[in-house]
Amino acid sequence: MKVLKLIPERCTGCLRCELACSYMQTGVFQPSKSVIRVSPFEGHTSYAPYTCTQCAEGWCMTACPVGAITINAAGAKDVLDDKCVGCKLCTVACPYGTMFYDGSTRKAFKCNLCGGDPACAHACPTAAIEYVDTDTVDWIGDFAAQRFDTVLAMEGAR
Amino acid sequence: MTTATLTPRPKTKVEPTMPGAYAGKLLRVDLTKRKCWAEPWSPADMRDWIGGAGLGAMILYRETARGKGNVSWDHPDNRLVLATGPLAGLPVWGTGALTVVTIGAMTNGPTSTQANGFFGANLKYSGYDAIVIQGQSRDWVYLYINDDQVELRNAKSLLGKDTWETQDALNRDVGMGGHHLSVYAIGPAGENLVRFAAIHGDYGHVASKNGCGAVMGKKKLKAVAIVRGTQALRANDPRGVVQAADDVAHDLKTDPSAKSLYEWGTLPGVANLGKMGVLPIKNYTTNVPYDDLTKWEAPKLRQGFDHRGHQCNACGMHHCHMAVVQSGRYKGVMVDEPEYEGWSGAGWTLGATDKEGVAWLNTQIDRACVDVNEFGWLCGWVMEGVEKGWITPKQLGFDLKWGDIQGANRLLQMVNRREGFGDLLAEGVKLAAEKLGGAARDSAIYTMQGASPRGHDHRGRWDEMLDTCTGSTGTLESGVPVHVAELGLPTRINPFNGVEVATQVVGIRGRRHFEDSIGICIFTGRTRLENLCRAIEAATGHTYTVKDAMRMGQRTAAVFRAVRLRCGIGVDREKPSTRYGSTPHDGPAKGQAVSAQWEKMVDTWYAGVGYDRKSGKPLPATLKALGLDWLAKDLWGSKA
Repeated sequence: MKVLKLIPERCTGCLRCELACSYMQTGVFQPSKSVIRVSPFEGHTSYAPYTCTQCAEGWCMTACPVGAITINAAGAKDVLDDKCVGCKLCTVACPYGTMFYDGSTRKAFKCNLCGGDPACAHACPTAAIEYVDTDTVDWIGDFAAQRFDTVLAMEGAR
Repeated sequence: MTTATLTPRPKTKVEPTMPGAYAGKLLRVDLTKRKCWAEPWSPADMRDWIGGAGLGAMILYRETARGKGNVSWDHPDNRLVLATGPLAGLPVWGTGALTVVTIGAMTNGPTSTQANGFFGANLKYSGYDAIVIQGQSRDWVYLYINDDQVELRNAKSLLGKDTWETQDALNRDVGMGGHHLSVYAIGPAGENLVRFAAIHGDYGHVASKNGCGAVMGKKKLKAVAIVRGTQALRANDPRGVVQAADDVAHDLKTDPSAKSLYEWGTLPGVANLGKMGVLPIKNYTTNVPYDDLTKWEAPKLRQGFDHRGHQCNACGMHHCHMAVVQSGRYKGVMVDEPEYEGWSGAGWTLGATDKEGVAWLNTQIDRACVDVNEFGWLCGWVMEGVEKGWITPKQLGFDLKWGDIQGANRLLQMVNRREGFGDLLAEGVKLAAEKLGGAARDSAIYTMQGASPRGHDHRGRWDEMLDTCTGSTGTLESGVPVHVAELGLPTRINPFNGVEVATQVVGIRGRRHFEDSIGICIFTGRTRLENLCRAIEAATGHTYTVKDAMRMGQRTAAVFRAVRLRCGIGVDREKPSTRYGSTPHDGPAKGQAVSAQWEKMVDTWYAGVGYDRKSGKPLPATLKALGLDWLAKDLWGSKA
């Protein structure tokens, strides 16, 4: 299955992926509605994008009491708006923090791989997000640990 | 088949509708009354003035008049406009930009100076196109914006902090990091009303010109902090915006005028301008590089640092970097990679050879927060003065020799705090040099308007000298001569032919104000104007041709000119200082005397832009051709 491969070392923190995602998902440029989020590390000197890994376990699907999360044609877990009752159980169940709740629509929302043509991968100017056929893994765990160690070392050096 | 006949449309007045991509509101802040309120602005003004520099110029014109003159930079009625444009917050590269417009402290006239990062985008997502600040606070405050939550908060705990420390502290207070909070702040220099204080934001971006930081300091506004808002920007044709963004990116990655910027930022300027006699060396005492220029080529300037990309909103230009020094005295220190202007202002102008030291000093300048160009002219001038004896170590309090980075920082901190001799130096090189007089005055680099030239040796780059001297914003005003064929101009000129140079400056006049009005960075603006026009059209729904874009910029220039004249800055001050306008005695531009052609250049410029050579006013016919009949009436009365 093709998934979003995240390569944090390449990310420069421009947040263009968030813009592209929000446009694809909502039709307007509104990064707060993006389902890919860029997080800062080491204060303000390195960044990494993060979104749903489309994990095999599918915790969100398991937790949903009304069967509103399904698997779409691209293989992504997707929220069916007409079934979602906005109970937020999926946001609690997701161990990666990539299920979101929209207070204005009262629905959950998440990455659906744009139906098989993810806008974020197109938008990233440094190829930190690729859409490739590979096993999905925790893309930023090692990066985050290493950057956190750097911060601890710097704190220690002070 | 029938042929339809066209019937005339009924003559009803159609109210303009709100264009796309605008937030639609200005945030007004009165620091005297401690009030903040949102104010809608009209679709007609959006069409005419777009945003940024255009909007700011009109606000200055409408709101800073006082009798027949203008309020001064330190008057409570001076406006500090932090404005962005319709492209801010959209996926076009480099669209986090803001333009600062105010009556600046260096010239005591209008200024328009641009910076980047995320401020413009965050402001738009919060629901505002610009912040217009008036009045003066009694106590130090900072402005906090989180969507509809707008507060003036006590800034006492931030006093004395440099710009990075201020942003760190606000990140901690608000509990945010990364680009979720954009902070533009002044450092100790702005607090102490150093005349060339700047406003710095998002770790490494500076609105640096004409003492806008001193204006913010006078208002006792330490910082503006904006949470990345939650509101949506609705483009007129969002798909068109994405397509225009792709075209802009393609131009920037492949066109020779921008490709090296894409690959290396502004770093190649050091070696390239050095070969042309345009690198400012030791306060213009020579035009010959004192160090092997191959050591200063772009890849070499990145050696010795651990580099991390540090981009502005939605930008793939990857020309901004944070860097950690890997060895030597500054090992482990985080610095903002100097732009070309940093390598020149904190390096070559001071005779420095220690690259890590220059990078470190450049960051100290950003953190204390003064204009790196003006600091270079000031510190280089002091170094020359100490060498030649018209400034003594006793006066200064210490000895300062060419290339002394630690000494330069000591001078910077004296200026910041206005300590000892630093109090005079804090007035900027023009006022300090005029006070000392004699050889000191004749060795200083400034324009007679009081503005700081950019970090070049303009004796080898006459177009920028002419633009800096004749402009109305205390810095370069006309534009960058890229894609000039689009404007019907020759692609090559003789840089030492005054008439050709002035004709080119006239021909590109308008480009910069247009760029600074739409909310895009000066570097990503180096695409063809046609691309920017298509982006604006897709974003707003307003049609813009290249001609419209240039016309809009020229209208803005005319309004700035009117404000400048109201501020009492006349034609007599449109010239370089003795040293700035001197003839290089060595190096690639040896013997090229700008002074010999100056009057002819200025005459050509005036005839080209259609301004009155004697009064400096745009001529009535020029104003009417620009659709500024009201301004013609204001400036010329019954003669209009």
